[in-house]
Amino acid sequence: MAVNLTAGAITKILNGEVSSEIDLMPVLQVTELKMIPSRLQQNQESNNRYKVLLSDGIHLQAGMLNTTLNTLVIQGSIQLGSIVRITHYVCSLIQGRRIVIIMQLEVIVAKCDIIGTPNEPGQRGGAAVPVNTQSNGGFDQQQARSDVNGGRYGVSANSPQPQVGGLNNSNDGRYGVSASLAQPQVGGTNSSDAGRYGVSAAASPQPQVSQRYGTGSGYPETSPSNRPYVSSNAGYGGSRQEQPRAPPATTAYSRPVQSAYQPQQPPMYVNRGPVARNEAPPRIIPIAALNPYQGRWTIKVRVSSKAELRRFNNPRGEGKLFSFDLLDADGGEIRVTCFNDVVDQFFDQIVVGNVYLISRGNLKPAQKNYNHLPNDYEIHLDSASTIQRCEDDGTIPRNQFHFRSISDIENMESNSMTDLIGIVSSIGTTVPIMRKNGTEVQKRALQLKDMSGRSVEVTMWGNFCNAEGQQLQNLCDSGVFPVLALKAGRIGEFNGKQVSTIGSSQFFVEPDFPEARELRQWYEREGRNAHFTSISREFSGVGRQEVRKVIAQIKDEKLGTSEKPDWITVCATISFMKVENFCYTACPIMNGDRPCSKKVTNNGDGTWRCEKCDKCVDECDYRYILQIQLQDHTGLTWATAFQEAGEEIMGMSAKDLYYVKYENQEEEKFEDIIRSVAFTKYIFKLKIKEETYSDEQRVKATVVKAEKLNYASNTRCMLEAMNKLKIGDANSLPESSNYRSDAVNSGIGTSGTRDTASVNARREFGVPAANQVGQYGNQYSSGARSLGGVTSCNACGSNSHVSANCPSLMSEPQGQYVNGTPGRYNAGGGMPRQNVGSY
Amino acid sequence: MDTSSPSAFVNGALLRRFIGQKVRTVIQVTGSEIGSVVGKSTDDLQIVVRGSSPPSPLTTYLEVIGIAESDNAIRAETWTNFGNTFDTQNYNELCKLANGEFKHLFI
Repeated sequence: MAVNLTAGAITKILNGEVSSEIDLMPVLQVTELKMIPSRLQQNQESNNRYKVLLSDGIHLQAGMLNTTLNTLVIQGSIQLGSIVRITHYVCSLIQGRRIVIIMQLEVIVAKCDIIGTPNEPGQRGGAAVPVNTQSNGGFDQQQARSDVNGGRYGVSANSPQPQVGGLNNSNDGRYGVSASLAQPQVGGTNSSDAGRYGVSAAASPQPQVSQRYGTGSGYPETSPSNRPYVSSNAGYGGSRQEQPRAPPATTAYSRPVQSAYQPQQPPMYVNRGPVARNEAPPRIIPIAALNPYQGRWTIKVRVSSKAELRRFNNPRGEGKLFSFDLLDADGGEIRVTCFNDVVDQFFDQIVVGNVYLISRGNLKPAQKNYNHLPNDYEIHLDSASTIQRCEDDGTIPRNQFHFRSISDIENMESNSMTDLIGIVSSIGTTVPIMRKNGTEVQKRALQLKDMSGRSVEVTMWGNFCNAEGQQLQNLCDSGVFPVLALKAGRIGEFNGKQVSTIGSSQFFVEPDFPEARELRQWYEREGRNAHFTSISREFSGVGRQEVRKVIAQIKDEKLGTSEKPDWITVCATISFMKVENFCYTACPIMNGDRPCSKKVTNNGDGTWRCEKCDKCVDECDYRYILQIQLQDHTGLTWATAFQEAGEEIMGMSAKDLYYVKYENQEEEKFEDIIRSVAFTKYIFKLKIKEETYSDEQRVKATVVKAEKLNYASNTRCMLEAMNKLKIGDANSLPESSNYRSDAVNSGIGTSGTRDTASVNARREFGVPAANQVGQYGNQYSSGARSLGGVTSCNACGSNSHVSANCPSLMSEPQGQYVNGTPGRYNAGGGMPRQNVGSY
Repeated sequence: MDTSSPSAFVNGALLRRFIGQKVRTVIQVTGSEIGSVVGKSTDDLQIVVRGSSPPSPLTTYLEVIGIAESDNAIRAETWTNFGNTFDTQNYNELCKLANGEFKHLFI
């Protein structure tokens, strides 16, 4: 049917007269119909949009069909040549170009021949036509290409393409900078746009088009400067062009928004395919801003430390990993870990001290067991990650320290990490230490001093002993006391506080920090001669507070049952000694500064073999292993005394005693010796620990030191303790009366003997007064174990008050005494014990 | 063991409380004559001890058990050499405690 196209409609549209259906509902013919599949954001669904060229017989106009009209196209109602009346549309000016967005139309004729020879608006005359065709052709080409390319974006290669047509290759899927500045043809520039959707179509072939594009990448001169914008424009242009991409509106709007927001990042337009690498300048963020929810990030960092390659084995199989620590200009620190293949990729690339740009890693929560950096996250790199070396940046420090002074360390928790700086005052030799699991490890100790007036022992393990240890040793030997900075040392509680190295610790000898210089100056001035208190106490246990206890407390207080052994001092008598096996044959081979002392086995031919040293010796050592029974007024316990303590107790070396007994067969002499030892009183330092013997838990006491009792000093101790007690709470007074009975016993008991009796009496009197009077008293009185805190007046026996407040009491100014009722005392009350000697 | 006549531990200051009673004390000998020994008590007061048969030679420290005659004299029945080293402070404390807080333990 013959239909008249609304002539001049296009012109009117173009010049703004007509902008929507309100003005005119033109009848136009579809001269071009292009489907642009748009995959938005990797959605599976493709929303095809149709781009049309509408003709009024004279001119052509680009338009986009709303998706609602897609069905018409698919049906075939709208096809090339269809005549339609657009009933609901809008003409928008987009980047200087008019696009007609059609929401509704009426199909008048579905199939028709092209009427007239409509031109693209803006074409210049005849040239237009051929250009058109060319362009069309090219356009087609490009369009085709653009279709192919559609949705892809990336950097457009700089292809100075004289041919419009040829342009778009580079554009394929490229988006972004139109490098194509050099293109003489405007069209060329459009190629960058082509990145969009083959923007190429846009234009290349058509000068007009390019003009239209003009604002966009169109113009070479503008392009370069508008590099970042080019893309956007490109996108724009693209959308503007007859490429149906996203609805122009959105692209139009989204574009500027995006570009304004993130100029470096390509807007996520229509992704048609894999995203090509974006080479826009990276956006560098500080380490502190990294989090798992961050999109693409890049950090500029210096590698502050690099760990060794480690292999591991877990249920999923074998693997390897390595990690390195990073530091950025703001002082942020983070650790990076690479596993398996990624290790191969990056291991060689990473050099400590270099500055790198790192991006596209995964952020994971940090493993605090291994990672001691102050960051909640750590980076895991994968094969998509990038590490790029860049030139040194002075603003990024080489190392970050959080130094603490040694006196602070005293108050810090064990197993926490710290950085230290100090002067090395002494350094020991490397000793091999046997670990519980049987492996040997090197250990080396050094003393570190700092301005807080304290010194601490720093223990180096493993490799540190050799490398840094040797260096430090050399320096110390030559008289220089070097400044040592230690990063990531663990605080331990072994004999006071001390610091140990861990795998990721780092030593810096004579570093060039302001703190180091300060320290050096201070040392020169005063530190050299100053006195230092060590927070790491020596092994001899001198630092240990002497805790006086009575034997009954070992059981009562369940000493030794906690994880660590308990060290106590008791004043007790040896009441019995096992005479069999009082010594053993020991290995005399020196291991460091101590003899091996492991039991050697008799080879039968007079030589002795040590398992540990794996050697044979002719003469073995004899070392004491005395089982003695210790007794004090509260109870008795077995203890084992080894060599040193044994010698003190017995008064002779184990070897001699052995000879006396076995070699010389001097039984009598032997017996005499033993007898003389028995019932001697000592101050014993005991180590109490619970150990498991074939399913049984036993509390074992080892005599660490045995000292003959110095009565005078002991008494003083006791007096002090008594005083403390008096000052203590009143509740203890009733109990104290109970042990006074003991004093009475001892006092009376020993009054008979002349020599040091009274001294003894005092001592005995004093002994039970050791801090635990209350408790002891409790036991004593009740016979059964403690009912501490039961207050009853010793004087009158009522429960309402203590003896201190007892109304029946007559108190003297110098102290309080109770008309003690012996009732509370147990069997021995009031009467002297018969076993005077030991008591 | 004979506990029929217990003696109280005294130092110089406490002696006056037990006049006429049996006491015992340790003194540091400052001088000796026939029949008497003069010494310093553990609280630095002078005590004269009369009696027969003080031991000879006398060591620095001497314990005497006897009847208190006055606040600075004792008639000794028993003398014992306590040697040359002695902790007077401890003994002093003992005296104080034995007659004060813990009197019941002693007599």
